[in-house]
Amino acid sequence: MLRLLISKELRELRRTTNAAWLLAGLTLLVGLALYNGYAYYTTRSAFLRQSQQTTYAQFIAQGDKNPHLGAHFGFYAYKPTADLALLDNGVEDYTGNSFYLEPHKRGEVKFREVSDATALRSFGFLNVGYFAQLLLPLFIFLLTHNLFSKEWENGTIKLVLSARVSTGQLLAGKLLAAGVVVGAVVLLLALGPLGLLAWHLGPSELTPLLPTYTCYVAGLLLYAALLTVLGGAVSLLTRNSALSLVMLAGFWLLGVFLVPRLTGELARRTHPTTTAVEFDDHTFHDMQYGVGHEGTKDERRTALADSMMAYYGVKRLEDLPVYFIPITIEAAEESDGRVMDRAYAAIERNEARQNRLVQLSALLSPFLAFRELSLHLTATDLDTHRDFAAQAEAHRRRVGRIVDAFYQKNTVAGNAFWRTVPQFAYAAPGLGWRLRHAAGPVLLLLGWSVGAVSLLMLAKKISL
Amino acid sequence: MSASLFRVLWRHELTCLYRNRVLVVLFSLVLVVLLAALWAGSSQWHTQQRTLGRIRAHRQEMQDSLVQRIRRVEAHGMHYPGFIWDDPTFAYNTARNEGPQYAAKVPFALQALVAGQSVVQPFYYKVYITKKQQLVHESEIDNSYLQFVGTFDFAFVVVYLLPLLLIVFTYNVVSSEREQGTWVLLKTSNQSIAQLTLARLGIRYGLFTLFFWAIVAPILAGLVGPAFLATSNWWWLVVAVSLYFAFWVALALLVNSFSLSSNLNALTLIFLWLVLGLLVPALLQFGLDRAYPIPSRIAITTAERDAINRYFERDGQTLTQEVFSSPRTLIRQASVVTPGMVYGYGVIVYKSQEIKDAATQQAERQLYRQIEQQQVALRGWQLTSPALLLQETLSALAGTHWQQFNRFSRDVDAFRYRTQRFFYPKMAQESTYRTFTVADAEAIPQFQPRVYADYHWLPIGPSWLLYAGITAVVLGVGYRRLLHATW
Repeated sequence: MLRLLISKELRELRRTTNAAWLLAGLTLLVGLALYNGYAYYTTRSAFLRQSQQTTYAQFIAQGDKNPHLGAHFGFYAYKPTADLALLDNGVEDYTGNSFYLEPHKRGEVKFREVSDATALRSFGFLNVGYFAQLLLPLFIFLLTHNLFSKEWENGTIKLVLSARVSTGQLLAGKLLAAGVVVGAVVLLLALGPLGLLAWHLGPSELTPLLPTYTCYVAGLLLYAALLTVLGGAVSLLTRNSALSLVMLAGFWLLGVFLVPRLTGELARRTHPTTTAVEFDDHTFHDMQYGVGHEGTKDERRTALADSMMAYYGVKRLEDLPVYFIPITIEAAEESDGRVMDRAYAAIERNEARQNRLVQLSALLSPFLAFRELSLHLTATDLDTHRDFAAQAEAHRRRVGRIVDAFYQKNTVAGNAFWRTVPQFAYAAPGLGWRLRHAAGPVLLLLGWSVGAVSLLMLAKKISL
Repeated sequence: MSASLFRVLWRHELTCLYRNRVLVVLFSLVLVVLLAALWAGSSQWHTQQRTLGRIRAHRQEMQDSLVQRIRRVEAHGMHYPGFIWDDPTFAYNTARNEGPQYAAKVPFALQALVAGQSVVQPFYYKVYITKKQQLVHESEIDNSYLQFVGTFDFAFVVVYLLPLLLIVFTYNVVSSEREQGTWVLLKTSNQSIAQLTLARLGIRYGLFTLFFWAIVAPILAGLVGPAFLATSNWWWLVVAVSLYFAFWVALALLVNSFSLSSNLNALTLIFLWLVLGLLVPALLQFGLDRAYPIPSRIAITTAERDAINRYFERDGQTLTQEVFSSPRTLIRQASVVTPGMVYGYGVIVYKSQEIKDAATQQAERQLYRQIEQQQVALRGWQLTSPALLLQETLSALAGTHWQQFNRFSRDVDAFRYRTQRFFYPKMAQESTYRTFTVADAEAIPQFQPRVYADYHWLPIGPSWLLYAGITAVVLGVGYRRLLHATW
């Protein structure tokens, strides 16, 4: 009986020209999203890999130079394109991917692609993630909004209910039929990128990605299933296709556009970000006058000179057996580094508060919950970006220490020395780390699934 | 159509919309989203104004401090009691410490309506001799995640949300008559159904648009002051947005003329909204990125670094020998900083910056040429989507278009060049090393902050005239279809 119900629904769908057009349009869009994602991933990953090698090659081939001057020439740490950026490029274009490894200056990730983009960028970037988060829900809602209501509108509900079919079977049959169509689209979304990745990377490089990829597909399936159930539940509850469509389209609009943007604005107001002017003022003040009982820069320098002279038992700086200037520079770098660390940590804490508020709004929108999951699993989220920035900053300080140690004894550094400075290499955290950071969105998706099933049960109780 | 009939229709529409609660629900929704958008936009505008105020105060504070410090040194026989790197009589020290000036783009009042590129482009720079902004961020500090999420401004509400609400307002003007069984009654009347439908849609459009501007104009004037009302930017904005609404109403008339069910009308209109609002821009971006690929800034950096390496392979060695590694200026191998060291650093910075600037210039030109080409191509294609055309128009009128930020950035580049020409000769005067005077401090170049809201580079008039034509054609086709309807 269940099979009969499913085939009846599918036949009905096939005979509706709208559905055929919808599916054709959808396939075209998926194809475009795949091509876009693939082009983005392959072009950028090759470019960044090449740039990382070039910048290091430039550094180690800079020739004979004063070590300090050579260190200022520095090199860049580039964030490699995420392994699953083909699926979703997340915040990549908004964060930048270049980190300058130069002494004295706390590094910062620069060159955000979005700064050079046209207004078109504000309309979004069509890839699998964009499709799954924005268009797939709309397709599911268009497909399911009259799944049950049409029986009332066509006057066939009595006929269906009087047949030898239980209400549970009716529910399951209709939902499974919609599930078959939605499943086909999800399958296309899952297999398309996988095929492209296999073609581009080959089996040996693809295998390590498979566990993460499987989790992504599982999340996508759960998301698609919950939306299908939700669409069916609303259709059953309203018993009116137009009303059901308005409600579902409204929910989509609110969930996809309104809630996240409005919460974003709210986050900006409730946790205002410091301006660059204030940041500049505060850090300059803290460096110059010290924090707490540290004393001013001059006082700290005098205290350091006194302690050095006392240590070596001399009365003048010129009589020290070591050079005092490098010592003051290193001490200043250390204290300035602390100031900058504190300032950056404050910004990050504030950003975390802002992000938490936006992410909490996924309580009102399953689309947001899936987007968060997608960002974390594809390692195109802000947490991964911060991990990269922290590792790049640690590498910058490591390079500084190596050059400083060399400079204490040498005035000229050649390529032989520059080659001893290690290259930067970043690998995004593994699946365990990503899942731990995605625990919130996973729980929210599960919560939404329970909610959708409960709504369906309620609708069944009321309408059938 | 006679005035009395129009009055009857007017009353009928108001009663209908009021009774089925569409008027109350829809207008409440419009009110809420507009209030939220205006609040968000104006508070952003106020934040920027406050920041500019802080910059002005900061500039005055730094200038006063610089003059006082130089006077103190001069009064004490050129003795500076603190760390030599802070001594303001060295031009290089001043160029790093108090010398850098802020260059600001003053936000235009209409920016409270359209965030545009202001979310990702800086509206002020601290201009050092070495770069536009140093020490902190390359642009204003903002949360990348929130930028990714997008802004909730008036432009977003108008471009994305209001067409959907207009669809809800107009999708069933004809189909509801058929579904409620009143169509036959209308057919038997002696009035033209096409005229009646057009008038009904006109009334709904008028109600919606008047309500919309009745909220926006006074609230915005209250939030950012009424001065914008006297600008042509504002009136063009009113024309563009009103025409955009008219386009969607015309489309609703056309769809209604096909005798579909209300359900299918809504589906079709939502589908068109999706195509024009999301898909066409996505496809355009796809095409333009391939036609005019924008070079990465990483490539610029690589070119710059190559040039520096080439320089040091040639005459840079002499510079290192003579200045940086000479015992006179050797910083690390000493215990006390000498004036020669400060001078040496200044020369190194000056020389290497000239090389960097020369190397970057060509690559930067290529980058901006490509972006410019994309922008020009976009202008040609923007007619394919009213949403895109409106987005471009609104940001140009509000002074938040890429073009305006680019103009500001180029002005800042010129200002930076002026600053360099001011400091470089003073940094490289070896005779005394300490040449920076009070007169010099007072002559440090200043950037004149101004509003960048000129829009004459964008053919707003012809574009919207063309769209008015398209809207008229859509209306005409829908009207004719209704006129000759046989159903």
